[in-house]
Amino acid sequence: MTLSRRTTRLIRRLVLVGGLGLFAIWTGLPLYWIVITSIKPNLLIYREPQLFPSQVTLDHFAFVLGQTPFLQYIRNSVSVTLVTTCLAMVIGTLAAYAIVRLSFAGRRWVARSVVVTYLVPGSLLFIPMFQVIYSIGLIDNIVGLMLTYLTFTVPFATWMMIAYFRNIPTELDDAALVDGCSRLQALMWIMVPIALPALAVVALFAFTLSWNEFLYALVFIGSDSQKTLTVGLIGLVRGDTFPWGPMMAASLLGALPPTLVYLVSQRWVVSGLAAGGVKG
Amino acid sequence: MAHGVRAVHGDDALLSPVRRPKEASAGRSLRQVFGRDWLAAWLFLVPCLLVLVGLIGYPFVSAILLSFQAKLVGTPGVWVGLQNYQDLLFGRDLSAQFLQSVRVTVFFTLVADVLKFGLGMAMALLLHEQFKGRTFFRALFFLPWAIPSLIAGLTWKWIYDGTQIGLLNMLALRFGLSQDLIQWLGNYDLAIWSVVVAVVWASTPFWAMMFLAGLQAIPPELYEAAEIDGANVFGRFRHVTLPGLASVIIITTLLSTIWTATGINFIYVLTNGGPANATMTFPMLAYQIGVAGAGRLGVGATISLFFMPVFLVMIFFLTKRMLAERE
Repeated sequence: MTLSRRTTRLIRRLVLVGGLGLFAIWTGLPLYWIVITSIKPNLLIYREPQLFPSQVTLDHFAFVLGQTPFLQYIRNSVSVTLVTTCLAMVIGTLAAYAIVRLSFAGRRWVARSVVVTYLVPGSLLFIPMFQVIYSIGLIDNIVGLMLTYLTFTVPFATWMMIAYFRNIPTELDDAALVDGCSRLQALMWIMVPIALPALAVVALFAFTLSWNEFLYALVFIGSDSQKTLTVGLIGLVRGDTFPWGPMMAASLLGALPPTLVYLVSQRWVVSGLAAGGVKG
Repeated sequence: MAHGVRAVHGDDALLSPVRRPKEASAGRSLRQVFGRDWLAAWLFLVPCLLVLVGLIGYPFVSAILLSFQAKLVGTPGVWVGLQNYQDLLFGRDLSAQFLQSVRVTVFFTLVADVLKFGLGMAMALLLHEQFKGRTFFRALFFLPWAIPSLIAGLTWKWIYDGTQIGLLNMLALRFGLSQDLIQWLGNYDLAIWSVVVAVVWASTPFWAMMFLAGLQAIPPELYEAAEIDGANVFGRFRHVTLPGLASVIIITTLLSTIWTATGINFIYVLTNGGPANATMTFPMLAYQIGVAGAGRLGVGATISLFFMPVFLVMIFFLTKRMLAERE
């Protein structure tokens, strides 16, 4: 059976619109529910639940910001994320340059271990990691988190930079070397400026992964002064009661930084994922 | 950078400091053994290797050592040989729990993978079409990727709330789909599916992004050729799209399998492994036994190690593929 061109185009259109609509609901409904719950007065959350609230309030935000250590959690998340991201960028760039440009025995081995360690999921190692952090006295200390977050950001950063450096013609840094630059200078003044887009992708992913991390923070951190956003959120639960208004308000605030970063840098996210494959 | 000597580049390149053929004899032999730039290379690699060896390699080895010990948090371990392994496989209390966690993990991962594949493919195919507002829809559909999984988990816990205030129960009652309140997370048979749905919601964007990148790499001529040969939509999908995506599909599936099976965030928030171990995957069990409850680090480490060989096989295969694609 052959369909006329018009019919095929109509079917195509229907499938497209239907599919987009279904996915928009599927993706959007939970997001809508976060936002709506965060601005609904408790009455409309618990007593007369409404899909479209007739009344809105900012009480939950005021509560979260004023009555809980939420701002402290955010500060901790920011410190951990910034330190880890910067360290990962520096360490990854140095290592990638050595792997791509320098000739030394064991080069392939190092490259291979970078990829292998990148793929080993952290949740398989949290118990021995706990021991390591415990034995160096960094339990319940965000410095311990900064260190452990390097385990997923450094291999990733190195891997991304390897991919990018490979595509930079050797002639460029050879010329610098001939001009009397040291290896470090060639890296700093020739390679890094060219590789800025790759560094941006690394920063983006390192930021997202560190900001979103939960398991290590849950296992290593106990006190409010050291909690990051994700464990802090869990701490808002009192016994078995979930104060949904404040929790969704805090969730909204906590999800905002990675969401904004993602929206601004979408293009890079997709190309970065395609190149390295991050988080499933 | 010394710009003045740029003219040297060219004929004299062979005489540049790096490639000078004549070396002091000691230097030459070292270079012959360790490679031309060994000193600089290892200096550049020191910080990276510290992380790889100190924070990944060492914990990995210590996990193996831990699995041969009975050790509680904060106490010295006692060597017990293969006792932990034996307890998990045949022990009176542990083996039932452990085998249950194996079943749950396999089922959970398989179902989630299949759904993520289907939805991710559908999402990618839709976004690959040309239409107005494509950028907007792409941004919206991929949004769950950016949201911390813990926050996504909390949101779904709230949606699944077992009283009339939970979104799903509210909708079910309002539209008359159900007379009773549904215990999405409290019902033994339903709980695992509820967890799967939440996980699929969060990680479908990753699959869609990978597939979309793959679709864009398929030359359009192939579709035109297939169309001329009389292939319909399904024929083109089967003979052009799927083969074109083969490599992406393999890599995505393996990556996602590793992360889904070992992920703990959603289950921790949604069900904590319950009800009655219905959603107790192995990392959750390792957490509960090794850290949360009695803090039996040895047994906890052993649970994770049991699965390590499976993941290592996948990881080595992936490593080979990923390195091969880069070279």
